[in-house]
Amino acid sequence: MNYPIISLITFLPLAGAIILIFINKEKRSFLLSFSFVITLITFIISLLLYFNFNSQTPDPQFVEKANWIGYGINYHVGIDGISLFLVLLTTLLMPIAILSSWTYIQKRVKEYLIFMLLLETGIIGVFVSLNLFLFYVFWEAMLIPMYFLIGAWGGPRRIYATLKFVLFTMLGSLLMLVAIFVLYTTYFKATGVYSFNLFDYHKLILNPSAQIWLFLAFALAFAIKVPMFPFHTWLPDAHVEAPTAGSVILAAVLLKMGAYGFLRFAFPLFPDALERFLPLLIILALIGIIYGGLMALIQKDVKSLVAYSSVSHMGLIMLAIFALNLEGTEGAIYQMLNHGLSTGALFLIVGILYERAHTRLIKDFGGVSKQMPVFSAFFMICMLSSVGLPGLNGFVGEVLCLFGVFKANKLVAILGVTTVILAAGYLLWMFQRVMQGPITNEKILSFKDVNKREIAFLVPIIVLMFWMGIYPKPFLRKMDASVTHLLNQVSHRERVFLEADRDKGLAIEIKKAMEEVKPEEREKKKHE
Amino acid sequence: MNSLLALLPLLVVVVGGLGVLLLEVFLKKENRNYLAYVSLFALIATGAICFLFWNKGYSYFDKYLVLDNFSLFLTMILLLAAAFVVLLSIKYIVLQEVNYGEFYALVLFALSGMMIMVSSSDFLVIFLGLEVLSVSSYALAGLRTKDDKSSEAAVKYFLLGSFASAFLVYGLALLYGASRTTAIPGIIDTFRTETNLGVMALVGLGLVVIAFGFKIAVVPFHMWTPDVYEGAPTPITALFSVGPKAVGFAVLLRFFYPYWKVALDSQAVFWLLWVISVLTMVVGNFIALRQTNVKRILAYSSIAHAGYLLIAILSQDSASLVFYLTVYLFMNIGAFAAVIALSKKDTEYLELKDYAGVGFKYPWIGATFAIFLLSLAGFPPTGGFLAKFYVFVGAVRQGLVPLVIIGVLASLVSVFYYLRIIVYMYMREPVEEIEIYAENPALFLVLFLCLYGVLQLGLFPGNILILVQQAVRSLPLL
Repeated sequence: MNYPIISLITFLPLAGAIILIFINKEKRSFLLSFSFVITLITFIISLLLYFNFNSQTPDPQFVEKANWIGYGINYHVGIDGISLFLVLLTTLLMPIAILSSWTYIQKRVKEYLIFMLLLETGIIGVFVSLNLFLFYVFWEAMLIPMYFLIGAWGGPRRIYATLKFVLFTMLGSLLMLVAIFVLYTTYFKATGVYSFNLFDYHKLILNPSAQIWLFLAFALAFAIKVPMFPFHTWLPDAHVEAPTAGSVILAAVLLKMGAYGFLRFAFPLFPDALERFLPLLIILALIGIIYGGLMALIQKDVKSLVAYSSVSHMGLIMLAIFALNLEGTEGAIYQMLNHGLSTGALFLIVGILYERAHTRLIKDFGGVSKQMPVFSAFFMICMLSSVGLPGLNGFVGEVLCLFGVFKANKLVAILGVTTVILAAGYLLWMFQRVMQGPITNEKILSFKDVNKREIAFLVPIIVLMFWMGIYPKPFLRKMDASVTHLLNQVSHRERVFLEADRDKGLAIEIKKAMEEVKPEEREKKKHE
Repeated sequence: MNSLLALLPLLVVVVGGLGVLLLEVFLKKENRNYLAYVSLFALIATGAICFLFWNKGYSYFDKYLVLDNFSLFLTMILLLAAAFVVLLSIKYIVLQEVNYGEFYALVLFALSGMMIMVSSSDFLVIFLGLEVLSVSSYALAGLRTKDDKSSEAAVKYFLLGSFASAFLVYGLALLYGASRTTAIPGIIDTFRTETNLGVMALVGLGLVVIAFGFKIAVVPFHMWTPDVYEGAPTPITALFSVGPKAVGFAVLLRFFYPYWKVALDSQAVFWLLWVISVLTMVVGNFIALRQTNVKRILAYSSIAHAGYLLIAILSQDSASLVFYLTVYLFMNIGAFAAVIALSKKDTEYLELKDYAGVGFKYPWIGATFAIFLLSLAGFPPTGGFLAKFYVFVGAVRQGLVPLVIIGVLASLVSVFYYLRIIVYMYMREPVEEIEIYAENPALFLVLFLCLYGVLQLGLFPGNILILVQQAVRSLPLL
């Protein structure tokens, strides 16, 4: 394929956003349809990635590389089996998110849509970047639209929530930036070539004591994003205050960036430090699972219940990643998609309820299913998918995750299973209180069932839930090569260390880099 | 090359300033905006001359005045800043009743002072330039005669500025005593060769650093900044926040660039600057958190930025310093332009609460202001990010990792107050709607150009980086 598909899907939303600036803000339905079409086209183009994806090779595909600023800062994108589905998840959920905002967003639709489209560019950019500088640019730039989406269209405590979200995320990412600088400098001192290329850094074998600090900086950034206990406190606030579409994207995609970051950057770059911190990370993930689940049980607000369920579910995903085996990692990636779909859907459903009731408190509801039977069916499927009912997607992912964890450590797996039990507890109980029983609130009698637009955005998700639950093979086999490669990198790495030398910085040993790059090429690269 | 041509840029600016003064006599008050056009013409002409002189390396007065690429590049920055300020002032001085004929002349004279400072490597000539700059600045700060704050600003600026000048002269005297010259290369040479330096030279150097610390507003010599920024007419504040800072750093760079490389024992000075840098970043950012006046917030932000710039001095990274100054010009003047845009006759909206709802009511002003603030906070893909990026990378390369960590954490703090302005603009409902005087094409031109600069430097800085490299390469290494 010679077409720059990745650039196209990354920057098409940006182009859409720029066009939107010049459209009259009174033309509400045109603005909405225009952005919907843009995101839909993006999704359709992104399907090309899936169909042309070669599942045999672990290397990144559809690679595009272009000079940008120089000094190792290049435009370098590509996808592999790990990022492929995360990109697809993003492009799929964006049109859905815009459909869900059709009536929810009443004020300042134009600005809202501009930020949604910018957000899409940022997210896709994060998943496709293979240059650390580019990655960081997207990683940070993506904060801006999210900041506005929560802050300008959110609930009553939106300002607190959005500032907390931005400051928490930035705390982590700024320290990660320093770590990136150190890597960059180390690589330069070792080879004499400027590079931010991720694969160049893979060749770098770092002193374990230096790895510890670098790993901590990366891990902090990603742990905040996931979020892992105890860095999760921004999440319930941000979720509860964000507008529906914001919550959907936040839960379905943004949280995955953290897990993706661990897989893509923290693990292969710092395997020795990983080994050292693994017990701590596993404990934190376990605490997240149990704590998130217990917190979800006692929430009064449906949305914050779903938010805490994310903490718990993401805990399981992290646990599976930390198992460091094929089942666990593939399960984790699969579960990321599942969580994106089911939690995204649950937020959509809460949004539908909120548009009718203007409340999200569980006690205000009861017996809604009598009034909204179709809606009730949708709700139940999404809820069961999140619980992990066999036949739906959640089951496959959870089973794979738990297999992987069990293989690595039985006790941890036994504790990890609580996520399923707790999920069944809080979700079923919530469903029962909201949807069943007698109608206690007169307002519910006036609720209309879901309309066509709402059905339109829920149906694709439901279809995928069944498909991924019944026939997961097309998804899993695309990941095999990349995941195997990643695990090899982490576990079978040559361990050659020299003592840290202050004059030479942290650079210790560059395996192939020195042989591969000839002196004259090095000169040439320097000037790039 | 020794050539009288080296005087040309300076002459054009000074003649422009004098011309404005003369012309004012013949103009009616309502026609005074012609003065702005004359000044702009002088600035553009000077810019063109600088452009032609690039890579030529003219000098005159026995190399007391050198137009190397470095000084030309900084002159361009200063010219751009002055041109922006003139454009911003055209309507502003009419609306805020500071429409004195001297206004533009003083701006040009201040500019000429700054140009002298960046074009010389002799402290005595630099002192001359500093005085030309300072005297014009004191007058400009006090132009809003109806407002007590403006007079307060002028007096404060004058008193503290005089102290700074005194420090400089005294320091120079001591340095002269130690090295028998006031030229930077000669002084450096002393630090290189003398094994037994004695207290005199070090104290002299310390006093010079303090004097320039005043100009670039680093903690603990920053006390004047917020008051002067608040009291001065806003376009002049924009000039103060960019011009003297760029000049001060240029002089420091001229001195410290060779100094770090050759001085026998630079540890004491290094740690002095290290502490000043940390203090500046921390104090500047933390005090800004508690401000409610936008001009004061920007004042403390400019103090904090001086801290980041000092990191570049410490890490001997002249290219990133110059690049940072370039970006800083666009984002800071842009931010002030947005503040100026939100004003009407006799009223400026400077309190945070006035900004509630502005973002949606005035989408262009709001959006550009937001972008400038995000750039100041260092978000990609703006120039502010790239500028900080280069400075911090350079520092890591020199092994100053703790300093960089303090720097990034300080900029995390700064994110809070920059975003606070955006919170008001976009996320709070207005208490009372503000009306602004919107027919100001010159101002929108500045907003647009600054926006362009910030984005161009953030996304495709390639050509500017090449120019910066050329500029820095012309710095004498001794």
